[in-house]
Amino acid sequence: MSTDRTDPGTRDGVGRPGLLAGRAVLRRLGGVAVVDGVDLTVRPGRVTALVGPNGAGKSVLLDCLSGLARPDGGRILLDDLDITRAPCHRRARLGLARTFQQVAVFPELTVADNVLVGAEQRRRRPTAPGAAALRVAGALRLLGLTPLAHRPAGDLPLGVLRLVELARALAGSPRVLLVDEVSVGLDAGQVAQVARVLALVAREGAGVLLVEHDLGLVSRLAELAYVLDGGRVVATGPIERVLADQRVRRLW
Amino acid sequence: MADPGLAIDFALAGVAVGAAAALSGVGLVVCYQLTGVLNLAQGGIAVFIAYLLRELVVVRGWPVGWGAVLCLLVVAPGLGMLLQLAVFGPLQRRRAAVGELVVACVGVLVLLIGAVAAIWGTTPLADVPALVPARTVTLPGGHLLRVDAVAQLGAVLVIAVALWAVGRWTGFGVRARAVSADPTLAELAGVNAGRVAAAGWAFGSFAAGLVGVLLAPLVLLDPYGLPLLVMETLAVAVAARLRSLPIAVAVGLALGIGQSELSWLHPAGTLGPLLDAVQSNLFAVALLVAALVPWGFVEGFADQGLLGGGGLPQLGRPPGGGRGRGWAAVACALALLTPLALRAGGVRAVLTVPALALILLSVVLVTGGGGLVSLGQGAFAGLGALAAALLASGRIPAGAALVVTVLGLAAAGLLIGRPVVHRRGLVLALVTFALALGLSRFVFEQPYATAGLTVLRPAFLRGDHAFYAAELAVLGAGALLVAAVRRGRLGRALVAMRDHEAGAWAAGVAVPRVKLLVFGLGASLAGAGGVLLALAGEAFDASVFDPVQGLLWFAAVVVAGVDSAVGAVLAAFALVGLDAATVPGMSAVVVGALAAGAGWLPGGLAGGIRRMVAG
Repeated sequence: MSTDRTDPGTRDGVGRPGLLAGRAVLRRLGGVAVVDGVDLTVRPGRVTALVGPNGAGKSVLLDCLSGLARPDGGRILLDDLDITRAPCHRRARLGLARTFQQVAVFPELTVADNVLVGAEQRRRRPTAPGAAALRVAGALRLLGLTPLAHRPAGDLPLGVLRLVELARALAGSPRVLLVDEVSVGLDAGQVAQVARVLALVAREGAGVLLVEHDLGLVSRLAELAYVLDGGRVVATGPIERVLADQRVRRLW
Repeated sequence: MADPGLAIDFALAGVAVGAAAALSGVGLVVCYQLTGVLNLAQGGIAVFIAYLLRELVVVRGWPVGWGAVLCLLVVAPGLGMLLQLAVFGPLQRRRAAVGELVVACVGVLVLLIGAVAAIWGTTPLADVPALVPARTVTLPGGHLLRVDAVAQLGAVLVIAVALWAVGRWTGFGVRARAVSADPTLAELAGVNAGRVAAAGWAFGSFAAGLVGVLLAPLVLLDPYGLPLLVMETLAVAVAARLRSLPIAVAVGLALGIGQSELSWLHPAGTLGPLLDAVQSNLFAVALLVAALVPWGFVEGFADQGLLGGGGLPQLGRPPGGGRGRGWAAVACALALLTPLALRAGGVRAVLTVPALALILLSVVLVTGGGGLVSLGQGAFAGLGALAAALLASGRIPAGAALVVTVLGLAAAGLLIGRPVVHRRGLVLALVTFALALGLSRFVFEQPYATAGLTVLRPAFLRGDHAFYAAELAVLGAGALLVAAVRRGRLGRALVAMRDHEAGAWAAGVAVPRVKLLVFGLGASLAGAGGVLLALAGEAFDASVFDPVQGLLWFAAVVVAGVDSAVGAVLAAFALVGLDAATVPGMSAVVVGALAAGAGWLPGGLAGGIRRMVAG
C-alpha cells in the first residue's frame, strides 16, 4: 500500500525488483499488529541487515517471509512470483532458506543427515544420483563440519548446532537466505567463520537477510539495513548511515 | 410436541445428567489450570470411586453418608495427590512433552479400569447406591421435580462459586492463578508449583469421584461403560477451552437438558435410529464438534504445551545397536513361528496375536514414526473388521476383502486425516479420541450397521494353522511397509518432522503431506489388523474396538518402545497372554502401571532395556 514510513531517499526504485520482497506486510497476534505494514527488499548478491530492539517484530516478520506464519495483510514476492499463500515447504523448494533464533536441528539424525534433509527436499527428484550427497559434502566442508559428519546432532554444543543449521540451509542451494540471530552461542572463531560463509553466499549471487544483535557483525557484512521498532520500519538505507542515525541509536 | 409443560418436564429430567457433566467440566478445567495436564484419567478415577462406594455401602453395609465422606473427601483427593507425587510431578520436573503427559494419563486410566475389572469383575451391577435418594416433589403446575437433581445442581453451583471465591480472595488463589498463567515465572517468584499442582489433582480427583458417584446410579455400573461416559463429558471442558468455569457449567447443563429434550422427539422413518443414536450419544457428538472446531490462538496455550511438540521422546539407536536389534528381531520371529508347531488348541489361543500386532504396528508408524499422537487406531481397526464382515457376508473371498478393506481404509484415513493431522499435541490426541468415540457409538454399537453380520473364513483358511500362517504373511508385509517408510528420504523427513516440525518445514519437508501419508498408511495397517481380528474370531465384536481398548493398545505400544516394531509384536503377545493366563483386566493393570511410570522410565521398557545394554 504505502511506503511513506520509510525514508523516501532510500526507497527501492520501481522496476528494479529484488529477489525477495515483502510489501505492506501485516501480522497481528492477539489483536496487536506485531508487524505493521513493513516494506522490505532482500536484493540478490547483497547482505541486508534487519535490526531493532527486542520485541520489534523481527522474528515474526521472518516467519511471514518464510511461510511459517501467514500474514494478515500485504504480499510476499519471490522474483515477482506472489508466494504470500504458498506453504513453507513450497517456498523452501523455490529457494528460500532460513535458520531459526532458537536453533532448529534434528537431534536424532547425524550431522550429515541433518544437512541431507536440506539438500534432498528441495526438488522432487534429485537431478542426478549423488547430487544431493555432493551438496551435503560441500556444505559440511564450507562450515568445517566434515569431521563431525557422523556424530548425532543431539550430542553437540549450541555453537556447532548453529553451524549445522546453516549448513542445512546452504545445502538446498538457496537463492535467498534468511538468518536469524546466528551469532548467539558462537565463539569468536565461529563468528568469523559464519561471516566468511555469509559473505561468500552473497558473492555467489544469493540474497541474504541478516537478523542480528551483534552490530559489529552487521556492519562488517551488510550493505543495507532496515531498522524495525514496534513492528514498523523506522529507518532504512546504507548501513553506515542507518547505524549513525540518532533516532536509531536511541533504540539501543 | 406442542405441550410446553412437557418440555419443562424433560428439561427438569435432564438436570441430573447436566449437573454431573458440568461438574466434570469444572473438575477438568481447574485441574488443567493448576497442573497443565488435561486429566484424561478422569473416567478411571470416577469408576474406581463409584465401585469403592458400592463396595462399602452395599457389600459391607456402611451408611451411604460415611461411605461418601471416605470415598470423596479422603480416598479421591488422596489418589489425586498420589498421582501428582508418583506420576505427574516427575514428568513436570523434567518438562515432559505433551505426548508423554497424554501417555501417563492414559496409563492411569487403563490402570484404574484394569484394577476395577480385576478386583470387582466385569459383570454389570444395578444395585448402586445413590448419594441423594431419588425422591420427587410436585411443583405448582403439576411438574415433577427430582430432589436429587436439584441437590446436584445446587452442589455444582456452590462448588463453582466457591472456586471462584478461592481464586479471587485467598492467598492460595493468587498463587494458583500465577501458576496457571505461567508456571515457570510463578516458580521464580517463589510459588511452590508442585504444591499448587497437588491441590489441582486433589480437586480434580474429588470432582471425578463425585461425577462417578452421581452418574453410576443412572447406568448399569461396569468397568468400561462408566469411564467412557465420563470421558464423553470431556466435551464440556473442551468447549470451555479448558479455561472458563461459567462456560463449562453452562455447556454441561445445556447438553444434559438438550439430551433429555431430544429423547422426546421420536422421529419415525429411516432417520429414526440415527437420531436416536445422536440423542443417546449427544456428549460424544459434542466432543467431536468441540474438538474439531479450530482452537484458534488462545494466549498461553503455546507456553503451556497444549499445542507444543506432540511427539514422544525417542531414544537414538544404541551404540553398536544394529546387532542387538537383529537379535531382538530373530527372537520375535521365533516367537511368532513357534505356534505353527503347536497343536490346534495352542494355535487357537494365539490367533489374535498377529492381528493385534498389526494394529500396534500402526501405532508405531503413526506415533513412533510420524510423531502424531493418534488415539484412534483402534477405531480404524474396527472399521476394518466391520468392512471385512460386510464383505464376507456378501461372499467375497477373504483375500479380496482384505485388499479392498486396506485400500478403502487408506482412503478413509486420508479423508479423516485431512482436517485432523495439522492439529498438534493434545488437540490431535483429543480429536482422534473423539473420532474413535464417534465411530464406536455411531457405527460399531448400532444395530443398523452391525446386525446380522457373519464372518466366515474361506475354505482354505478354515484351519487354524493355515489362517495363522496367512496372518503371519500379512504381518510380515506390514512390517516391511513400516520399514520402507522409515528408510531413506521419507524416513529422514519423518525424523526431522518429529524432532523439529518448523525446522523440517522450513528445510523443504512437505509436512502436511507427509503427516497425511503416515496417517493414511497407519489407518490401512490398523484396518488390516481389524480384518484379521474379525476373521480370527469369525465374528464382529464391537466391544473389541471400544475406545478404551484403543487407549490400552496405544499405551502398550508406548510402554514397549514407541519406535520399535519388535516391541509392538512382543506387546501383542503380552496383551493376549496376560489376560488369558490371569484375569481379564490384568494386561490393562500392567500396561497402565508401566505407562503411568513414564516419569521414571523414559522411552518405555524398550528404552530401559537399551540403556541397560548400553551400560
